[in-house]
Amino acid sequence: MAGMAPEGSQFDAKHYDSKMQELLHQGDNEEFFTSYDEVFESFDDMGLQENLLRGIYAYGFEKPSAIQQRGIVPFCKGLDVIQQAQSGTGKTATFCSGILQQLDYGLVECQSLVLAPTRELAQQIEKVMRALGDYLGVKVHACVGGTSVREDQRILASGVHVVVGTPGRVFDMLRRQSLRPDHIKMFVLDEADEMLSRGFKDQIYDIFQLLPPKIQVGVFSATMPPEALEITRKFMNKPVRILVKRDELTLEGIKQFYVNVEKEDWKLDTLCDLYETLAITQSVIFVNTRRKVDWLTDKMRSRDHTVSATHGDMDQNTRDIIMREFRSGSSRVLITTDLLARGIDVQQVSLVINYDLPTQPENYLHRIGRSGRFGRKGVAINFVTRDDERMLFDIQRFYNVTIEELPANVADLL
Amino acid sequence: MRPILMKGHERPLTFLRYNRDGDLLFSCAKDHTPNVWFADNGDRLGTYSGHNGAVWSCDVSRDSTRLITGSADQTAKLWDVQTGAELFTFRFDAPARSVEFAIGDGLAVITTDNFMGNVPTAQVKRIADDPDDQSEESLLVISGIKGRINRAVWGPLNRTIITAGEDATIRIWDTETGTCLNESDKEQGHQKTITSLSKSADWSHFLTGSLDKSAKLWDTRTLTLIKTYVTERPVNAVDISPLLDHVVIGGGQDAMNVTMTDRRAGKFEAKFFHKILQEEIGGVKGHFGPINALAFNPDGRSFSSGGEDGYVRLHHFDSDYFNIKI
Repeated sequence: MAGMAPEGSQFDAKHYDSKMQELLHQGDNEEFFTSYDEVFESFDDMGLQENLLRGIYAYGFEKPSAIQQRGIVPFCKGLDVIQQAQSGTGKTATFCSGILQQLDYGLVECQSLVLAPTRELAQQIEKVMRALGDYLGVKVHACVGGTSVREDQRILASGVHVVVGTPGRVFDMLRRQSLRPDHIKMFVLDEADEMLSRGFKDQIYDIFQLLPPKIQVGVFSATMPPEALEITRKFMNKPVRILVKRDELTLEGIKQFYVNVEKEDWKLDTLCDLYETLAITQSVIFVNTRRKVDWLTDKMRSRDHTVSATHGDMDQNTRDIIMREFRSGSSRVLITTDLLARGIDVQQVSLVINYDLPTQPENYLHRIGRSGRFGRKGVAINFVTRDDERMLFDIQRFYNVTIEELPANVADLL
Repeated sequence: MRPILMKGHERPLTFLRYNRDGDLLFSCAKDHTPNVWFADNGDRLGTYSGHNGAVWSCDVSRDSTRLITGSADQTAKLWDVQTGAELFTFRFDAPARSVEFAIGDGLAVITTDNFMGNVPTAQVKRIADDPDDQSEESLLVISGIKGRINRAVWGPLNRTIITAGEDATIRIWDTETGTCLNESDKEQGHQKTITSLSKSADWSHFLTGSLDKSAKLWDTRTLTLIKTYVTERPVNAVDISPLLDHVVIGGGQDAMNVTMTDRRAGKFEAKFFHKILQEEIGGVKGHFGPINALAFNPDGRSFSSGGEDGYVRLHHFDSDYFNIKI
């Protein structure tokens, strides 16, 4: 199989599709998935408890999105679920509603654990969970690294219904027995393919070993490559699956362009030329390494451009301040890496720049998914050097999109 | 015209309202906290904190001292405009949707949604001068409408209330008896949910916007259809210029579907039509999500739009706008 993949390219559609087919239709595993075809066109029809409905409507939802129409009810019934939907189409509210529906509010013990790959994402999930569950009196805590361990221990000891966290801190709390798994009956992985990748898989495994044997598992992401799907077979029981075909994953609402910069050294000048356009609205610039985030930030600032930057090596307080500045619009340009791509959900972001093309196919989708989100169109611009041309071509084929050359009037598109 | 971009809301806009003098602009969004802005330069003046849910609409008293807001947290609240103090809370069994003060500011009409078996209602509350005397009692409860009431406004001399909403029908109600005096014609009228309603400066006619991709102009007393403005997209917001014979219409496809279709399909422009000739005059681009709110400044020289993208955009008209010939 190694020979099938062209050297230097991860975007091999045939390989992806054949592995996906193999997984979904293995003869002896035909029974691995559960069929569930009901669609509910209004929240009122889903059999949700009254105070959860109050929370959903108070949040400003008026009717369920496509993933919510199919995904909330099977989760509420205690079924394992694998749910994939495009970026920004309502997955978080789907699993938050499913969890909130099933909690025993008279029991102030952790009954549900949600894991996310980044601290920012965990905090955002906590915020949605808290808002939707406000009328239910839900106690939810974000248990993430970089914050006070003692404070986490104190809050967990006082009792919470739901913990949303990052794997490292959650495992630490479990190990110290500050977080007791005895009553946990729901386990959710958000951005599941990232969580099941090399970087997090061992931690997830360690956590899962500490959880009760009978537990409902929910797996959610905009990307669900066959490798991640295969791993889910080890810990899920006949899950209901909602999957999207590879070539339907890209949002039509995000207009994608490329700029031929010829050489790596010319990317910076191109970015500075675009800066005035960037500052019209909120923009995110992605590069491939943390060191490069720092480098690019210094270069932009030395040219008197105001930018913010964040990556995994920064301390949590700094990351929080930067996200707050960016979210409020005090700063309009954010430079960051792939890992944080999944945690950025800011209302006014309409432009994403891939200063470097991503090395993993899924990350292309998550990066550009920071702009076009629920109810908003977006633009993505890819900087392409001579060495990148084939990769750009592969991305277009893999996701069945057209990436046009950037027109001169890009500001009109924003 | 270079728009002023107003950032203060972290979630989609739902409603915009100028005060009578046109120097203040109030914005509501799904982020719980209405904002008030200076209407000439777009600086934010303050916020009104206290709601626990999306805020669907607001209104401000004639003398700019009182603000009323309707929220999905099943309450409507009265505020002191200047201090931001919360003065009173009206509680309901369903999300509160539309709010409007009556002439004289002694009454307000508040609508509640159909929710978990509750029928939608439009309720009239007395507004006391002294907040300590404020009561929650409803003087009138209008029910019997099927489908959510997206907008309820006072008719001339506070004798009537006009409602419009999900069942695509406009109704005029007598405020003394609560009876329905008139209904819009089924064939001439809107075919889908009416999303928005705006009155002319003299209240003699009003404009409605609908998901059926049109806006319609109606006579307030007789409910006669006067004009129809056809667009290519669902209409979420409408307003009538107080100065010229122009109307503005905005919308775009359903927020739920925006990310799934090509960007050109969004059509998030505010479109200006000649009120009488029904011809499109022009459009203003800028939002990258559906436009959910539009409002003309009472002086007719600027307008604001609020979108799903969380931005309020303030546009001061160029002199060319006032010399448009058709």
